[in-house]
Amino acid sequence: MAYTLVQILNALSFSVLLLLTGLGLSLVLSLMNFVNLTHGSFYLLGSYIGIQWLASGAPWWLAFPVAFVLTGAVGWLLDRFPFGRFYARPHLMQVLLTYGLSVVFADLMRWGFGAETVSPVLPEVLSGVVFILDFPFPVYRLFLIASGAAIALVLWVLIDRTLWGAAIRACVVDRGIVETLGIDTRKLLTAGLVLAAALGGLGGALGAGMLSAYPGLDEEVLLLALLTVVVGGLGSFAGTVISALLLGFATTFGRMWAPEFANFLTLGIMALILIVRPTGLLGQPARQV
Amino acid sequence: MTTLHSNSSTRLAATRTWLLAALVCSVPVIWGQGFALRFGAEILLIGTAVMSLNLLIGVGGLVSLGHGAVFGCAAYAAAVAAQAWGGNVVLVLAVGVLAGMAVAGLMALLTLRSTGLFFLVLTLVAGQMAWEVVFRWREVTGGADGLRGFPSLEAFGIRLDTPAALYLVTCLIAGLAWWVLRSFARAPVGLALQGMRDQPLRMRALGYSLGNLRVRAFLVSGAVAGAAGALFPFVNQYIGPNTVHWSMSATLVIMSVLGGIHMLLGGFAGAAVYLLAQTQLSSYTDRWQLAIGLLFVATVMFAPNGLLRLGRRGRP
Repeated sequence: MAYTLVQILNALSFSVLLLLTGLGLSLVLSLMNFVNLTHGSFYLLGSYIGIQWLASGAPWWLAFPVAFVLTGAVGWLLDRFPFGRFYARPHLMQVLLTYGLSVVFADLMRWGFGAETVSPVLPEVLSGVVFILDFPFPVYRLFLIASGAAIALVLWVLIDRTLWGAAIRACVVDRGIVETLGIDTRKLLTAGLVLAAALGGLGGALGAGMLSAYPGLDEEVLLLALLTVVVGGLGSFAGTVISALLLGFATTFGRMWAPEFANFLTLGIMALILIVRPTGLLGQPARQV
Repeated sequence: MTTLHSNSSTRLAATRTWLLAALVCSVPVIWGQGFALRFGAEILLIGTAVMSLNLLIGVGGLVSLGHGAVFGCAAYAAAVAAQAWGGNVVLVLAVGVLAGMAVAGLMALLTLRSTGLFFLVLTLVAGQMAWEVVFRWREVTGGADGLRGFPSLEAFGIRLDTPAALYLVTCLIAGLAWWVLRSFARAPVGLALQGMRDQPLRMRALGYSLGNLRVRAFLVSGAVAGAAGALFPFVNQYIGPNTVHWSMSATLVIMSVLGGIHMLLGGFAGAAVYLLAQTQLSSYTDRWQLAIGLLFVATVMFAPNGLLRLGRRGRP
């Protein structure tokens, strides 16, 4: 019983990590209709920034805002060039551009941060374990669950309940009409991309305590995030949450019950959902014109 | 592909193609070293796989991130078959083609209702499932170690174990593959596939079945990729799970774009550029991935029709 509870918490912390990375990707993908495969690079960059900051001895809690701001700045640069020119292009060209860039970034980061696996030096408050029904559980994962849930909530309010969020959603449906209302949609899209990149970096800084950081992690995270968003259905916040939970729990419990087939089973479940519902769990069928 | 050529320019293009093919076949056999021939054969085989992907991406608009699985599974099937029954080239090719068609057909059936990004992700997931099977099924595939030590290929009693012989076989397969793919793309079924890419709703209104066309394109593409995959273990002298992994699929897509997705022969150019960059640059610098990435990004931005059509205007 207690063991299952700990596993549930493990699954939950993994789900929150998936949700955090998925939300950033979902923001650009479903709201801005831009396929950003460099999202895994943002995540890994955030991880490295967080790790460097925690090792530097500066106040630890600043690591997360710093990662947020710095990766956001990288996102802003990328928006200036070359992403801005690709927002209106077909998905294929976006996929190709951003995948190529992610290859470049992966190699740059291997160059800059080394090829070894690095883990953050956690502050005393976050290291150590708590005992849940006599089973040890890392404090950091509880912190991850709480902060991830809080960030997701803030983002949901921002996108779903504010005028700014409404404007960015309207941009996807009809950018021309939004322009005629006197809103500079170019700026709006820039803001969206910067926010998404910053979220990716924040997710990375938070996730480093659980997954560490190593070359290749960017691809793994990208795949998981892409899977989360696509299976959940584009443009659906609830769908992303559900699929993050599904993916997190399927992976964790799959590893517990059948370690050999865990990945196959998880992929199989995801494939099955996409076969039965070709536009994702809560996605709307695409309108054909 | 649909642009109408005047007769003379078509004939000129055909002559050029034949000359190029003759050159590709003859030059390395006369002057090539063993290593160069193996490398050339590798380029031709990977290029053939890229060409089969060009049919899906360029003609069908179906961006598959699972093509590595088609190629890799066929390679494994052929390798296992050769270890069990010997290296008869007809048998090896038949097994590879059937395996490629089976995997590709299955993938087409799975993705029958998906479009765009969902199609991309579903092919990726399907490919990764194939990778999981290959990686875990140690008794047959050797798991992470892969397979090596294959009997040498032989055709009608002639042993094809010299690099030159292998090279000529791959030339033959590559040429045949090009002819099959080009015929398919130019046949009514290929044109319908192209119509489905550009105007799915109108094509459906004309009575075409999207699923039917898609399955056929996948089967042809899978057969060609399977034939290339079947010879790959013998040229490479090793087959590992990386060949099935999605990064292989992504590499194939990169090569396809480097060469140009709307040109079948671009597949060879893309494969050659990528593999040359990989082997040549990696001996000078550890940063060859950076160079490949930058080259790829530059291609996407400035030459969306591929390196072969650099400077020529056209639809991106």
